Amino acid sequence: MSEKVKVIGLEKHFGDLVVLDGIDLTVEEGEVVCIIGPSGSGKSTFLRCINRLETATGGQIIVDEQEITSKKIDINKARENIGMVFQQFNLFANYTVLENIMLAPVELKKMNKEQAKAKAMELLTRVGLADKADNYPNQLSGGQQQRVAIARSLAMNPDLMLFDEPTSALDPEMVGEVLQVMKELAAGGMTMIVVTHEMGFARDVADRVIFMADGVIVEQGTPEEIFGNPQNQRTKDFLSCVL
Amino acid sequence: MDLEFTRVINDTLPLLLEGTKTTIGIAIISIFAGLLVGFLSCLMGMSKNPILKWISKAYVWIIRGTPMIVQAFFVFYAIPQFFPGVTPSPFVSGFITLTLNAGAYLSEIIRGGIQAVPVGQTEAARSLGLSSFKTKIKVVLPQAFKIAIPSMVNQFIITVKDTSILSVISLNEIVNNAKKGIGMNWRFFETYIVVAVFYLIIISALMVLSNYIEKRMNNERKG
Repeated sequence: MSEKVKVIGLEKHFGDLVVLDGIDLTVEEGEVVCIIGPSGSGKSTFLRCINRLETATGGQIIVDEQEITSKKIDINKARENIGMVFQQFNLFANYTVLENIMLAPVELKKMNKEQAKAKAMELLTRVGLADKADNYPNQLSGGQQQRVAIARSLAMNPDLMLFDEPTSALDPEMVGEVLQVMKELAAGGMTMIVVTHEMGFARDVADRVIFMADGVIVEQGTPEEIFGNPQNQRTKDFLSCVL
Repeated sequence: MDLEFTRVINDTLPLLLEGTKTTIGIAIISIFAGLLVGFLSCLMGMSKNPILKWISKAYVWIIRGTPMIVQAFFVFYAIPQFFPGVTPSPFVSGFITLTLNAGAYLSEIIRGGIQAVPVGQTEAARSLGLSSFKTKIKVVLPQAFKIAIPSMVNQFIITVKDTSILSVISLNEIVNNAKKGIGMNWRFFETYIVVAVFYLIIISALMVLSNYIEKRMNNERKG
């Protein structure tokens, strides 16, 4: 296995506030990493640094041997290979489901319209929403919107997927359908970094679980190690609250 | 006092219709030009270049901070004093005044529309690899305009009515022509009733048109 993501000494400050205080992490190709931790611990900020939605204050992030933190790289090009799924879905309100998925591949000249449409329909079938192709996002439930958002990311054929609390804004009965799609994605060998509060998902699907607090990685290990036998007191306290 | 609508209408209708043509004409071209100016000013105001930003801010500040009648006097009387021999027509001066005036307000309206589009829309587009420019064109602006439509229509209505201010620079629009008619027949009441009805008809037509456009956009969304 080769290194997909390498993070070295990552720091992020918002003014005087230190949100990330030296993060080191390596993610192997095909690995599924779940990041857990209390709110305000910097999980989402860390994730958003990986595709540079947030600019790091210090340190390095390397994805596929490209230094994301360097000003010299074409960040748009780099982002084509890094999919991201947001807590609030963020489907484009002015486009239909089909158009949402086709937009990036067509605009970025990865596919022509016919190819993009075929790809979009294939992805929609995969997430079980082929019949919603011509609907607008506001006509879909939260769970459906999030499945479309995943399909939209996949349309660019990324080899790394970032999930930023993908089920936190969903009604409880819709969490399962989204997690199911993510499970299938993981089983297909996608490299995934998932910020989540779904401990069940982390336990079942993750290859590695990372516990973050106060801008640092406090503890990491296999799901069995983290959930079954946490070493750090902070991890223990957190898990006793959420499990 | 006896009301003499029939006589007043017979006497002044040609004059008022002529004025209506001018009013509608100058309003339409000023609205389109104002949209262009407003859009440009908005883009300048949101750009990272401090000079462009400053120009846009100063422009909006001056126009919003002064009455349109003063702006019209500047364009028609004051500025041409620097160019001896140039006598601007009331129509051209009126067009420039209305355009600059509407443009400043539309600039703020469009900016409001853009800021009302959730930041998540931009983040999603950027995360897919779309450039900042493509994100604006394909995702942000279409939504911003839709949000801004009611406020823009409101500004169009104000622009139509503001044409009447241009009577002070002798533009022969409805109000100015009505005054001419009154000069001949001395019938204030009947004439201004007719003038008011004319404005109501023009603005109602504008509202019907904008309702139609808004409805069509909503239907489109339903697919």
